[in-house]
Amino acid sequence: MKKSILVVDDFASIRDFVCETLQRKGYETFGAANGNEAFKLLTEKSDSVNLVLTDYNMPDCTGFELLKKIKESPSVSKVPVIFLTTESNPDKMRSAKEAGLAAWIKKPYRSETFFAQIENAISNG
Amino acid sequence: MDSNQKRFVEDALDLLNELDEGLLQLEANPHASAPLEQVFRTMHTIKGGANMFGFEKIGELAHQLETLYDLVRQGKMQVSDGLISITLHAFDKVRDLFKEKDAAKINNAEALSDHLKSAIEFLKAAESEMVSTGKTSSAASAVNKDELATFFIRVSPTISLTVDGNHPLVFIVLDLEALGTARTFCYKNEKGDVAHWDIFLSTTTSQAEIESYFLFVENECQVNYTKLFACDLFGSDEFKEYLDQFNAVPVDVKALSAFVETLSAKCKETHGSEAEDEVITSSRKKAHHDTYIKVSKRKIDDLLNWISELIILQAQLTNATSGLNSPAINEVTEQLELITNRLRDTSLEIGLVPIETLVTKFKRLVRDLSKTLNKKVNFLSEGAETEMDKDVIELMADPMIHIIRNAIDHGIETPAERKAAGKSEHGTVKLKAFNTSSYVNIIISDDGKGIHQERVLQKAIEKGLVAADASLTEEEVLNLIFHPGLSTASQLSDVSGRGVGMDVVKQKINDLRGHVSIKSTSDKGTSISIKLPLSRSIIEGLLVRVEDTRYVVPLNVIDRIDRIPYTLLNRENQVNKTVVVNEETLSVFSLRQKFHNEAIVPKTADIISVTVHGIRKGIAVDRIEGKMQTVMKPLGEAYHQQDFIAGSTILGDGSLALVLDPSRLFQLSDN
Repeated sequence: MKKSILVVDDFASIRDFVCETLQRKGYETFGAANGNEAFKLLTEKSDSVNLVLTDYNMPDCTGFELLKKIKESPSVSKVPVIFLTTESNPDKMRSAKEAGLAAWIKKPYRSETFFAQIENAISNG
Repeated sequence: MDSNQKRFVEDALDLLNELDEGLLQLEANPHASAPLEQVFRTMHTIKGGANMFGFEKIGELAHQLETLYDLVRQGKMQVSDGLISITLHAFDKVRDLFKEKDAAKINNAEALSDHLKSAIEFLKAAESEMVSTGKTSSAASAVNKDELATFFIRVSPTISLTVDGNHPLVFIVLDLEALGTARTFCYKNEKGDVAHWDIFLSTTTSQAEIESYFLFVENECQVNYTKLFACDLFGSDEFKEYLDQFNAVPVDVKALSAFVETLSAKCKETHGSEAEDEVITSSRKKAHHDTYIKVSKRKIDDLLNWISELIILQAQLTNATSGLNSPAINEVTEQLELITNRLRDTSLEIGLVPIETLVTKFKRLVRDLSKTLNKKVNFLSEGAETEMDKDVIELMADPMIHIIRNAIDHGIETPAERKAAGKSEHGTVKLKAFNTSSYVNIIISDDGKGIHQERVLQKAIEKGLVAADASLTEEEVLNLIFHPGLSTASQLSDVSGRGVGMDVVKQKINDLRGHVSIKSTSDKGTSISIKLPLSRSIIEGLLVRVEDTRYVVPLNVIDRIDRIPYTLLNRENQVNKTVVVNEETLSVFSLRQKFHNEAIVPKTADIISVTVHGIRKGIAVDRIEGKMQTVMKPLGEAYHQQDFIAGSTILGDGSLALVLDPSRLFQLSDN
């Protein structure tokens, strides 16, 4: 079955680009412009989303807030979350890891790293 | 440029506007955190996007500037005029670059180098100031990121994996290598799995950041870090030769440290940089209540076109069925009419965008201009969310810029003059926008010295535009400003004298079928009101009839309508006539005599007085049928030569009416 990834980024061109890249690799994708929208979508499709790939810095609901929300809701807490961001602060990374983040991909990324992290997160949770 | 880059550029241009807006807010409130966060976040997004889509130079510039604003965020630096200015100018250049069609040109290394340099210099200056004010200790680590250090990193996987496998760890090692100059040795065990990697890396990245790379694979590997030296050991040939032996034998950490000791004399001592301190921030941008999608303009135009066809068909249907007297059909046609009208309104709205983008542009203009002219000017805007047709916004940008320029250049006095006049030193330029029915109203006002009416009149008399003994109303005098013969020629300065006079402003507004008027009180200020139709394709006009042809005269230029006996017009068979209307002589252009001239003439003619280019003229028609609002459609190629016809519209009964362009019509009559 096709794996689906929820891509969250407030910046449409990046979101579309990431979605297209993933689609070419055979993933199904959903897009959301911020954390709140993403969380809503995720809870609606909790059975079909295999991974959440989100930006860190976003208005309204940041990636970190989204992560916490996901990990605190039993119905979706098992969905792995990956941050895809230019943010590279070690402390933020550590607290995200403690909150249950699966991986942190820094932008710009190399595509092998990107897909390896994604595959790894989907198979290992 | 590929399509992803194009899309990014379009989004980034929007972001740049937001950034401008944020910067200006920040300049007005240097201590406010909301605009600071917005500026920081926007720059961050631009940086990320630019790097991702291959515009590294822009990414680098954004990064440098972001560093500056990060210092502000951490309270280590103040927002200053200088900071805002270099940022605005840098991103102006970025905006220019984004207008290039060619990706290579956008990423032109030369183009941004000046701005990059000034950002770096600004950072250095800020740093040295911080040193002198004693804020250095924590700031230094954030600033001195360009300190090199050489690390020895041993990565030992605790799980079984191969070098060509797909485990993230393999790629993390590759990512590490990309952080600077690196040499990696990979040792395998009997099974062919990776026993460990030994990485020599010389980089500006701090150890804490390097460690963060392994954060998410902590359970799959063990990593040991040794900071060999606080400089780039790869600069030394001796070191490079020393490394060669590790191809054959594994690295002995003790021997390695001993070797580095001996090298130490050759490498200058510098302070290592420690983990950056961090201020956790949550960025908040102004809340979006709505979500947006981008649609190509062509699709909207197509949609509008089909809807206008639908409106015509609907009107024909109503006409055709009105005689049937069938309640069932009547009900359906009524419903259809209701829904088509709603559809029309909604679809017209699709093409509308808030004038906010213009407002940001004006803020910039006011800021830059007041600095150049040494005046203190506040710019207030009201109703920036008012929506207008995108084309109209683009066409209106220049005329409005001209009006604002005039307001600052000629309207607002110098701070000293203002003080002497008992006003506050800061002048105010205000832009107010609001909707009334199918029009957008824009009022640009200032609280400057107003227009000197006697001088305007004097000038007009000198130029022979009005008779020396003419008695003009205040409004008439002020309207002389829009006369092409008067313009701003006498008041040329660096700022205003850019070749666009008020006459051009008026003409542009007229071309958009809008209306402009001016009010001014001496010492109190000037206010210019612009009224524009919401959409270019919707026209409000007067439906008139000549013989059996119907025309539409745009309502915005009409002053008055008079009915006169036809015989007054029918003298000497001339097309141009002068008649007396409302006790004034009016040069009249008769549509009948020009285009129809049938033998049987009506008893009366209606004279429509219109003002074009500041001159009042009359159009004579047979009969006025009423006011109407309609969708204008272009005529085919064959009619392009007939430019006095702006377009056509289809009436409810399916017949055609020609929309006249009065200014072109009079050009025709003058020739």
